[in-house]
Order: sequence, then structure tokens, then C-alpha cells
Amino acid sequence: MPRPSNLDLLQGTLDLLVLKTLSWGPAHGYSVARWIQELTNDVLQIGEGSLYPALHRLEERGWVESEWRRSENNRKAKFYRLTNTGRAQLRAESQTWTRFTDAIGKVLQASEQPA
Amino acid sequence: MTDSLWVRLRDVFRPSARAEASDEIAFHIEMRARELVEQGHDPREARAMAEERFGPVLPIEADLIDSTQRRRQREDRAEVLMNLRQDLSFAVRSLRKNSAFAATAIATLALGVGATVAVFTVVNGVLLRPLPYKDPSRIAMIWISNTNPQGVTSDLPLTSGFFTDIQRESSQFEAIAAFRFSPYSLSVAGSVDKQRVAGARVSPALFQVLGVRPITGQTFTKEHAVVGGPNVAVISHDLWQRQFGGDAAIVGKRVDLSGQPFTILGVMPAGFTFPRGAELPPAFQFALRTDVWTPLVFDSTDLRNYGTMNLSAMGRLSATTSPVAAQSELSAIMKRFLAENAPRLKLGYHVVSLVDQAGKKVKRGLLILFGAVVCVLLIASANVASLLVARVSNRQRELAVRAALGAGRGRIARQLVTENLVLAGTGTALGVVISYWATKVMLALVPGAMPRADDIGLDWRVLSFAALVALLGGVVFGVAASASVSWSRLAGSLHAGDLRSTGTLSQRYGRRFLVAAEVALSLMLLIGAALLTRTFVELQRVRPGFNAKNVLTAGVGLPIAGRFDPFADGPAWAAKMNGIAAQLSTSPGVVAAGAVSSLPLSGAFESGGTRIVGRPTPAPGQAPSAQYNVVAGNYFAAAGINVLAGRAFDTGDDEPGRRGIIVNQEFARVHFGSVADAVGRDVVATFEFRNNAAPRTIVGVVENVKQTALDDPAAPQVYVPQSQMAYPGLTFVIRTKGDPMTAVPALREAARAADPGATLNDVRLMDDVVALSLARQRFSMTLIGTFAALALVLAIVGLYGVLALIVGQRRREIGVRMALGARPSDVVRMIVGEGARVAALGVIIGVGGAFAMMRVLGALLYGVSATDTLTFAGASVVVATIALAATYAPARRAARVDPKAALVAE
Repeated sequence: MPRPSNLDLLQGTLDLLVLKTLSWGPAHGYSVARWIQELTNDVLQIGEGSLYPALHRLEERGWVESEWRRSENNRKAKFYRLTNTGRAQLRAESQTWTRFTDAIGKVLQASEQPA
Repeated sequence: MTDSLWVRLRDVFRPSARAEASDEIAFHIEMRARELVEQGHDPREARAMAEERFGPVLPIEADLIDSTQRRRQREDRAEVLMNLRQDLSFAVRSLRKNSAFAATAIATLALGVGATVAVFTVVNGVLLRPLPYKDPSRIAMIWISNTNPQGVTSDLPLTSGFFTDIQRESSQFEAIAAFRFSPYSLSVAGSVDKQRVAGARVSPALFQVLGVRPITGQTFTKEHAVVGGPNVAVISHDLWQRQFGGDAAIVGKRVDLSGQPFTILGVMPAGFTFPRGAELPPAFQFALRTDVWTPLVFDSTDLRNYGTMNLSAMGRLSATTSPVAAQSELSAIMKRFLAENAPRLKLGYHVVSLVDQAGKKVKRGLLILFGAVVCVLLIASANVASLLVARVSNRQRELAVRAALGAGRGRIARQLVTENLVLAGTGTALGVVISYWATKVMLALVPGAMPRADDIGLDWRVLSFAALVALLGGVVFGVAASASVSWSRLAGSLHAGDLRSTGTLSQRYGRRFLVAAEVALSLMLLIGAALLTRTFVELQRVRPGFNAKNVLTAGVGLPIAGRFDPFADGPAWAAKMNGIAAQLSTSPGVVAAGAVSSLPLSGAFESGGTRIVGRPTPAPGQAPSAQYNVVAGNYFAAAGINVLAGRAFDTGDDEPGRRGIIVNQEFARVHFGSVADAVGRDVVATFEFRNNAAPRTIVGVVENVKQTALDDPAAPQVYVPQSQMAYPGLTFVIRTKGDPMTAVPALREAARAADPGATLNDVRLMDDVVALSLARQRFSMTLIGTFAALALVLAIVGLYGVLALIVGQRRREIGVRMALGARPSDVVRMIVGEGARVAALGVIIGVGGAFAMMRVLGALLYGVSATDTLTFAGASVVVATIALAATYAPARRAARVDPKAALVAE
């Protein structure tokens, strides 16, 4: 299956995406990966393996916490859940991201060279 | 520490970080593969695709393992801290709620720990603490060892000749120094106030041997220690503060020592007061602390002196040698000397480390004391442990609630340990405070008789010891308490009926055995204390050969500067001393007055050789020696020493040319067979300060006097009048009609009349001298007696506690018995019997233990056998009786149990 042209993820962006997906509720690593792929129509090709160091990094920072539970098909899986500090972090980073993309957008849409 | 152990234990049950990481990765790949299969891929192909999409597994796995481990460590630490804080605050609350229990346990522990830490403080201060000199293990004292005809070897001081020999010939020492006691009367320039100070004349190398430098100025050099050298002195920090107010410009100042001007060269650091009397053999009469050092100078006569033993010597072993090598080298030097000069003498050198010199003579006594106090601590701990076990059975319900609310078994056990650590910690802290005072009281019992006692105190060793005791106590109590929780019942014991359990079998018997052990330990201590008390009584009953009642003693010093020349100064000295004695005997209230060179039981004594005229020259090494004393005035009457035959010295003996000697009963018995046969015989005293002294005729025989200690065996003794044998300093002995202290002004007046520069020192009652000679025995007796009393009280409290508990737990059973017709007296008999069995077991173990203990205690005893039947039986009866008395109150309470109430209550 030919893949559409894709973008490499910027450093730190993955963390933001993971926090966002977890804001809908606890999930194991595989669902996080699936959700990101679905929502971005596979445009953002994350190396699936690199998701896990990111999850652990977030856990070490106290933004997510984990627990081993039965998954939907009755297999033990490690579920991650956003903590309160994680939620606050998500809010802050979303704002930063929005400001950042706004700025980039303005530059790309500019029609004239500034004086 | 229990927590890190706890964490490690938990790690055993939780999956490793590695397993977790690989599980997590495997789950992902499996899910992806399953989805690909659902999309129509072949399962094997799907798995390969899933793995490819995941990426490199190994580096990711390593990353996950690392981060999991890091996170776990941090969480564990946080959890430990939080739990600790919870446990601590819970422990404090729980102890506060049971304040009666907590107070009893803490007070018991504080007493036990206080006594133990106090004894440890002394053990540490005397035996463990390093000497305050550089590398003290390399410092050795050097004595001459003399073997007497009875084969007993004793250490003697060196002569200046022997000292210069080893200084010249020995190669094993970095430096060798000699020193001797030299009291001075000190006055600061421009002041008439005189003060007696303890001084020492020392080789310049002394400070190098000890490795101590002055804080200001310098110490002596070789140039200071020559005949005709300058009068220079080094002073102690204490004297500098006391006498000169810490004057910064002290170096170079003049000071008057016994009438001669001295220049102060330097000040030694605080705490440096070597030589210190309590650390050296008492016969050398060093003061407790030394305040002034002057150079020890040898002239040409001294270099040939192999007769007058008046020097202590010490050396610093060179880095490449050992004490054994130094000893064998010195032995070879002495052998060479004896072969050339005196083949008949049995002399040697004896090298003994300074550490042993200071501590050896008290080591056994102190260790016995430490053993005794550890017994007290064990009894106190057993009591607390037994209280705790009782408390746990009363808390079963509380613990059950906590278990029901989700506290794990480990958590509850840890809580119990924490609670007991708090208990032990508080008890120990209080004990350390008590020990501070207890140490002072203990040391006050042995003034001047305990080496290194003057600067004993709390240091890090004592505090670590106390911390160790607290920790050990906390853990042991905690483990004991959690071991007695019946975990299986925790789940069910919310039902009230189960609360009145009688404890498991091991609990019931464990507690009884604990109390039996307490009884045994306290019986052992009581037997030890009784034997030491009987020793003390026996010693006081010993007839010392003199009568100490109504006798005043005081040293009288006449000013002599520089060297003492017996031939030039002797007659003048004798005249002055006899003059003082004569004037005193005319003063009202004085019965008799005299003086002696070595006051009995003051620690001082001198020995010298004697030869009986008309007997064959003794075989090599068999020359009979005797303790000798130089006397003046009416010494025998003043001291109350009975004359058994012949006469005492009188003024006739002071005439020029007279040569008399008085011997004691033992001397007469050994050499002449009887007292009567001794009078009129001729004896040569080889200890006179002259060569080829003419024979002396025995004019009288007196009774044996205990010279060095009350438990001394009788030794041959001889007396020579001071007018016939010059002697530097004498101690006056004045017998009075009433209070001896009233004679002090008369003595002062008489001394001043004889010489305006005369000084008095060591003004004491003879009774006090005798008492002081027993200070070490009194120390052991008082302390072990105190510990025995404490132990007995604690053991009885323990016994009472256990019986009270048994009665409480068996209320129902007692009720049933009474309902079935048992009379109160039967119940009393049952409970008393219970107590009696425990006490009997304790007494049996205790007697056995005491027999074993006597092997170490035996050396401290006098006049009583270490296995004295009367003492053993008496102490056992006392302990058994007190124990039975303690069972009475719980038994009576049991007899008052109302059967109806007891049965309904369940």
C-alpha cells in the first residue's frame, strides 16, 4: 500500500499529541497510536515504537500515570491516564502550539514582503 | 532501614522493569498484527509487518526499562518518607493515648539505659578513648623488673645510670625520655603568696615522645638540660589560665619556683597534664595532674648512679619496630650490664604500652561492672518487652480494625516497629540525660583512683553506643510485639468474644521464661554484690597495724632548690623535722607526733635490700628485700603501731654516730624465727644513700603494717630514724585527744617556726587515707550493689506484671473453678504456685549463672570464697521470698473474682 507523503514529527509535538489523546480517557499505548493515526489520516507517521519512550517520559514527569489492567480483549495491558498536572500541561502547550501555528500560517499566507 | 528492606521485599513480588517493558511492547505488536489479519493479511505476514511498523525493539526496550527503574526508585523514596511520617505521628499519638503504659516503659528503659550508658562512659573514657598523644600505640613505658626471692616480679623505676645506658644503646626508639615528680612552691614575681604546684622534671625528649607541641613558646632543648643550665619552665594551659589569667605575653616572664627564679619557656595545650598520677603506679607519688615542667639534669654522679631508683622512663617506638623487638633489645642490654657489673642481681627491663599502663589495673573491674549493668539493661528490656506483648493482646481489636480497613500485614508490623523505635528512642534519650549525672556520681566514688577520670565525658562513642542501644531495643521490641500478634485471628477478632484470649502457648510460656530469666539475672547480681560487700567488710576488719582513729596527717615540705644533697642537707632536715615533732607534742590536745617517709595506705612505699650480719652472703638473686621507712619524732606512738619487743626510737638515737634500726614482726619471723631473738642483732641496710654502709643494730620489733593495701600479705619492714639517714620529705602523723583537725594550726605554727618557707600539703585524717585506699573496692561494691537492687526491683515488677496479666486473662477460668466449688484459698494457692514456679526456675538458673560468673569476679574478692555457700543461699532466699511476696497481690485479686460476674462478662 503506497503511503501518502508524510511529515516527520517535530520534537515535543508527539508529547502534545499523546497528552491530547489521553485527555479523552485512559488508554493503552496501542490505542494512543491508533487514535493519532486515524485523526491525522496517517499523515503524521509516528514510528510506533517511539511512542513508548514518550509515554514513559510523560509518566516520569508526572503528567500521566499508568496501571496494568485487562484490555478490551481480556489481555493484560498497561493503561495510561492523564494526571491533573498533565491536564494543565496540555492546556498550556495547546495554547503555545496554537500561537505557533498562527504565526507560521500568517507568514505562509503573507502576500507581500514586509517593508 | 526497615523501609528499604521492605521495598526490597516488595520488589520480589512485583514484575521486573524488564518484564514490564517487554510485555508492553509485545502487546502493541500483537494488537497491530491482529488488526492486520482482520484486514486480510496472512498471520505470519501480519506479524512481520507489525514488527516493522513498530521499529527497533531493543533500544526502545532499554529506554523503557531505564525510565521504569528511575520512576520506581523515586516513588519508593517518596512512599517511604510518607509512610515514615505517618508511622511516626501515629506512634506518638498511640503512645500518648496509653500514657500510663508509655510512661512505665519509658521510665524502665531510661533507668536501664541511664545506668548502662553511665558505665559505658567510664569504660570508654578509661579503656576505649585514645590517649591524647600522637600515635599513642607506639608509646611505651620502660620499667626495671625485679624478681624477689619469692619469685614475684614487680616494676621499679629506673636509676639515672640505667636510663642513660638505654638512651645510649637502644636503637628501637625514636626518642626516650625520663621524668620524675618534683613538687614546687610557686610564687609569681612581686607576690609573697606561695602555692604548691605539681611539677615534673623531664628530659627534653618527653614532649617529642608524646608528640605534643606547646601552644605558645617552646619546650626544652638539650642545651637546657645541662648542669649549670638556665632555670627554665614550661607550664600547663590550666596554670597559665589560673595563675596568669591567660597572659598572651607569658613567654619570657619570671616565676619563683621553690625560691629560685625560673623563666617561662612555653605553655602546653589544654588537657596536657602528663604525667598523671592515676595512670602510673601509685608508689611514684605523681600528682593527679602536672602543671609545671622543668628540665631533668644529670651530673657526673648521676651517670654512675645504679642504686637510687627514682626515674620513670618512656619511649616512642620507631616506625619499623615492635614492642616485642624493643623488649628483647632492652633485655639484652640489661643482660650485658649485669654480666659485667652485678651477676647476682635478677633485674630486667619491662616494656609496657602506655595504653596498658593506664588501663590495665582497672580493666577487669570495669568490665565486670559493665557486665553487671548490661544485666540490668537486659532485665529492663525484658520488662518492657513483656509489657508490649501484653499490650498487643489488648490491642488485637484495634489492629483488626486497621487490617479490615486495608492495612497489610507488613504495614501493621512496620507500624509496631516504628512505635517501639519511638519508645526506645525516648527512653534512651532520657537515659543519656540520666547517665550524665550518674557518671559524675560514679566518678565521685573513686577520687584520684581511676585513671583518666578527670576528663571523662560524653563523646561520639558514647552517643553511638546509646543510639545502637535505642535502635536494637526498638527493633527487638517491635519484632517481639509483631511476633505476638496472632495474624490469623486478626480477620475474625472484630467479634468481641475473641478479645479475651489467653494468648498462644508460646506467648504464655515465653513471658514466663522472660521473667524467670530476670529473676536469674538479678540473683546473680545480688550474689555478686553480697560477695563484694563481704569483701569490703572483711577489708575494713583487717588490722592495718596502726590505729587510724584521731590521727591527722600532712606532708611538710621545706624549701630546697636545685639538687638535694643528703650528706650536706640531711642533718639540718632531720633537726627541723624533729623540732616540729617536739614542738607539736607539747601543744595541748596532741598525744604524740612523728613523721614517716611513706605514709601507710597512701600508695607510697619504698623497698630496699637488707643483709643480716653473720649470715653467709645470700645466693644470687636471693638478697632479702624489705619495705623501708624513714621516721622522725615519736612516729610509732603517733601512728599507734605497737612495739612488740625492745623499744621505739628516742632522742638518744639522734646523737651522732648512733646506728639503730627497728624491724617488724614479719622481718623477725623470716630472719630470726621469733620476735625476741631479733633484738640486738646486726643488719646492713643496702638502701642507704651511701656505699658500704656500716651495720645497724636492731633496737626494737614492731607489729606488721599494711603499707600498700589492706589486702597485702605481711611483708618484712624496717624503720630508720631520719637523723641517721637523710630523707627529703616526710609526712607528719599527729595523734590527738579530740578532733584531729584542731591540730592543724599548731602544725602550721610549728612548721613555720622550724623554717619560714615550710609548706603544708595533703592535710587529711588518717581515717580518710584508709577509706581512700579502699576507694576502688567501694566503687565496685556500691555500683554492683546499686545495680543488684535496681535489677531486683525490676525483676519483681516483671513478675508482678506477668501474674497480674495471667489473673486478668484467666478470670473466666477462675470464675468457673469457683462456681464449681473452689475456695478463695485454692485460687490463691494456684496463682502463688504459678509465681513460685517461675521464681524457682529463676533461682536455679541464677545460682548456676553465679557459679559461672565467679570465675571472673573471684579476683576482686578478699576474705570470702567466690562460692561462699552462705552468700549463695542467703541471696537465693532473699530473691525467692521477695518474689513470693510479689505474687500475693495478684493472687488476692484472683481470689476476689466474682464467679457470676466473670462468667456473665463474656
